[in-house]
Amino acid sequence: MALLLRHISLPLATLTLAVEAELPGGITILFGPSGAGKTTLLEVIAGLRQAPQAFIQLGDEVLTDTARGIAVPARLRGIGYVPQDLALFPHLSVRQNLNYGRKTGAAANPLFSPEHVVRVLDMAPLLARGVAELSGGEQQRVALARALLASPRLLLLDEPLAGLDAGLKTRIIPYLARIREEFQLPMIYVTHDRHEMLALGDILAVLVDGRVAQCGPLREVFHRPANLAVADLVAVETVQPGRILRIAGGLATVLVGTAELAALAEGLPAGTESVYVCIRAEDVILLKEGNGPSSARNRLAAVVESSSPAGPLTRVELDCGFPLTVLLTRQACAELSLTPGARITALVKAPSIHLIAR
Amino acid sequence: METGDWQLVWFTVWVALLSTLVILPFGLAVSWWLARREWRGKSLVETLISLPLVMPPVATGLILLKVLGRRGSVGGFLHDHFALDVVFTWRAVLLALCVMSFPLFVRSARVAFEGVNPRLEQIARTLGAGDFRVFCTITLPLAARGIIAGCLLAFARALGEFGATVMVAGNIPGQTTTLSLAIFSSVQQGEDTRAYRLLAISVVLAFLAVWTGEWLNRRRRAR
Repeated sequence: MALLLRHISLPLATLTLAVEAELPGGITILFGPSGAGKTTLLEVIAGLRQAPQAFIQLGDEVLTDTARGIAVPARLRGIGYVPQDLALFPHLSVRQNLNYGRKTGAAANPLFSPEHVVRVLDMAPLLARGVAELSGGEQQRVALARALLASPRLLLLDEPLAGLDAGLKTRIIPYLARIREEFQLPMIYVTHDRHEMLALGDILAVLVDGRVAQCGPLREVFHRPANLAVADLVAVETVQPGRILRIAGGLATVLVGTAELAALAEGLPAGTESVYVCIRAEDVILLKEGNGPSSARNRLAAVVESSSPAGPLTRVELDCGFPLTVLLTRQACAELSLTPGARITALVKAPSIHLIAR
Repeated sequence: METGDWQLVWFTVWVALLSTLVILPFGLAVSWWLARREWRGKSLVETLISLPLVMPPVATGLILLKVLGRRGSVGGFLHDHFALDVVFTWRAVLLALCVMSFPLFVRSARVAFEGVNPRLEQIARTLGAGDFRVFCTITLPLAARGIIAGCLLAFARALGEFGATVMVAGNIPGQTTTLSLAIFSSVQQGEDTRAYRLLAISVVLAFLAVWTGEWLNRRRRAR
């Protein structure tokens, strides 16, 4: 079920929320620096906050249209909302919390039956307890289950794992993945965490200063950020200024530092000369002997500057006429003997080099 | 204890309880509006409600007497159209107690409502609850302690009210005399034994009221 957000405009203390987006379904990760308006946007979608201007359509039902004076109240929207503080009802037991919004009879979607929800989220041992007796992870599951039992058509999650330690996070993420699979429920999921984003996200919407800077399939946003702010937020390792020397046959030749790179020219405004060159560290291939022919258009003679461990990988900084960051496995790093000063050839395919007009 | 004393205690407790019951619905509505909504003239209403708390009770009583007397605006209207007299009857006692204890109840209930996290009410709405259900199942239970405390304060104030009552209802034995008024007139007339007996009764009443309130709160906390 697609969610359509059109000309949403809401002045906040330090910025104006101005959102245009179409979210096709699946899990949309809403990503952006704190204070970018993410929580406010969720509240507007849920109908808990009125924007002076907004058009919101879920599936084929218009929920908000300020131009026509339509504002479906929150209780009739069928949108589940799990806020960052969870907001479990402290005076009710777990079972009463779960039953609070439970739909019965014709309004109930059989998919969201108590049996199903309790099984998917392993709730059975918690039912008789009081809310105060739950651990952080258990509270999280109760809040999720409570929202699900109301048979929502869309689920909004505001940093659901923010307060949990790493071990708990890895235990809850599978539950969220199960919700996605078992309930076919579109979700908007606010997070800063790259791991959650990659584990759960289908669509990535980047919110910067109250605006959607980019919205698209997760992989595409990661590899082809629309502008410098997005590139920065999704942490593209190498972002360097460059100048387009010529464009021929859809292929641009770009001067970066002292190196010339071949990149796809598609999507650049006509007449663009100055660009930022974005290269993801995992898209670079290193080669010891660099003489044989290769399909990669860019073959760069490089010198290893430094290397440092990055989780299971090693992060290597190269100088190939401009600084280039590469991620590779420790084994690969050892086999190539990438000690500082070593000479190496770096291969980058032209489609892996993304250009942003500057 | 003499039969007159029983009547006195019964009347005092009854009218204090009734005044608490009367202000409860209005007090809940007003304190919710003060706690949860912003509107024009809010600070004016806040000040007006608190006025009886700061003004001398006798002055408040005088205002009530002027308004409710047969020549006052409200009193005249009630007398002409409903043949209803308020001043110097038990109704005047009830009204004086309501006016005097209303601000105490509102202060307590308002703080209680403000203490309820609005987030919980919002989430209840996203779960399909309408305003009335949200109020009854979330707001009211979470504010219950403060509301009970407010009732107790209002009741205690009503039990001991003197100044406004004596102005607007007089001190008519068997009709408008409350415990406090009776203690005062006993001392005035040199009936010391009666004054001490009534004093003992008020101590017992106060003890019972406070103890009941504590007990209610403890029972809520245990749940």
